[in-house]
Amino acid sequence: MLEANRAPLSGTGETDDLDGWARQLDDSAAEHDSVPRRICLLCVRMLSITGAGISMVTNAGNRGVVCATDDVSARIEDLQFTLGEGPCVDAAQSGTPVLIPDLRTPDDIVVDRWPAFIEGAGAAGVRAVFAFPLRIGAINVGVLDVYRSEPGPLHDGQLRAALLAADAAALALLHIDTASDDLFSDNADARATYQLQVHQATGIVQVQLGVPTEEAFLMLRARAFALGRPLVDVATDVVARRLRFSVEDQ
Amino acid sequence: MSTGDVAGGPALESDREQLLAETFVALADTLVDDYDVVDLLHQLVDACVNLLGVTAAGLLLDDQRGNLAVVASSNEETRLLEVLQLQSDAGPCLECVRTGVPVSVDDLEVDQDRWPVFAAAAMSAGFRSVAAVPLRLRTQTIGALNMFHSAHPVPVNDRRLAQALADVATIGILQRRSTHRSAMMAEQLQHALNSRIIIEQAKGVLAERNGVDMDAAFTALRRYARNHNRKLSELAMDVVRGEIDPTTVQIGRRVP
Repeated sequence: MLEANRAPLSGTGETDDLDGWARQLDDSAAEHDSVPRRICLLCVRMLSITGAGISMVTNAGNRGVVCATDDVSARIEDLQFTLGEGPCVDAAQSGTPVLIPDLRTPDDIVVDRWPAFIEGAGAAGVRAVFAFPLRIGAINVGVLDVYRSEPGPLHDGQLRAALLAADAAALALLHIDTASDDLFSDNADARATYQLQVHQATGIVQVQLGVPTEEAFLMLRARAFALGRPLVDVATDVVARRLRFSVEDQ
Repeated sequence: MSTGDVAGGPALESDREQLLAETFVALADTLVDDYDVVDLLHQLVDACVNLLGVTAAGLLLDDQRGNLAVVASSNEETRLLEVLQLQSDAGPCLECVRTGVPVSVDDLEVDQDRWPVFAAAAMSAGFRSVAAVPLRLRTQTIGALNMFHSAHPVPVNDRRLAQALADVATIGILQRRSTHRSAMMAEQLQHALNSRIIIEQAKGVLAERNGVDMDAAFTALRRYARNHNRKLSELAMDVVRGEIDPTTVQIGRRVP
């Protein structure tokens, strides 16, 4: 059952050991690194990439570098904030990953769009760059950027690990302590984070409490935790109008 | 097929040919324009129900994290969504995506041992048979179109038509150009998946603000997007971020 859940649906059959990830993330918990930084360090170890960085970009327009594993990664983040262009900027705006396996032979249109970024990143030794938005629907918290000094795409297993890392990073930036356990565990409820009822319930709670979407999402999770019930069950009750959130309860 | 069987049964042959032509013309029109992926996928599952006379249909995509995610369904009933979502663990849809070939169960009651949890849920939701056809691009399968019938098997003759609809869905997902460049498959898939999440959040906002159910909220969202020439997911984003009044969307025009 566990194996079936974890097997990739398609692709090369090469499965990254995600349970291994979770253990490593736990093992490094004794260290003083923040969760976002540990996620970046794990990306470097697991994705055969050179470096990784996370930037915060919120709906409210706040932005800033959260962490970077090396100077080049820090440079990639800085460049994009300074220039206002690059894969991270596009990923944050579009909510879609931006995958550039080789900066030296990109689409012509990319060259047009990010001339200064391509020059700056190239000079810093970046050949491939992959930007993943940290998003849950309309909730936008930032971007995970990973880069490699050699060209080439992420293969299926690496892409999958990068997407899971981005999911974990999104929760981490939302200050959800269990971010890593959630996404790297076989707990069905953890995977249910992305079930439709949860998102519907988020919209409902947002109106009931008059709060932004990300706060509604946190409240929903907090309530499930407090009740000791699976998130998806609590969400289903909210959607069925069996459970209401009110400002007084909070 | 009796002529009285209008609600669940396929349209009459001549009507159906007309409907088929109209469907593909509408899809072709959509594809040349700057379209919304989730809206297109909903048109496809609706077409599936209307053309094939199945009771319900849903479209699931590989979320590239090891799960299947529902991106479109012919109705918003929780029971249907649950039956669709269950298949991230086991079921005909998952098998179809893993193998890349169509899968069908003509009678869930007879064949319930194959996927016991799925079969029980599908039967309790009122379904008797199920079929799934893959969304395939060359060697890769990115998802599956799932069809259910409440009374009889999903007609074999119609599977080719179902596959044609699935192929249009595949093109629709992978053909969408991001505003600035041709994008990779992973980018397209993630775009479709995140768009669906925004739409769910917007449905929640509309349902709560206007005191309607999810189906009514979704219908209003689609209608408003169409009438005002807006992309569904962009309109949904405006709703979630409070940039458009939910009442305006629900009644289709500004409150005087």
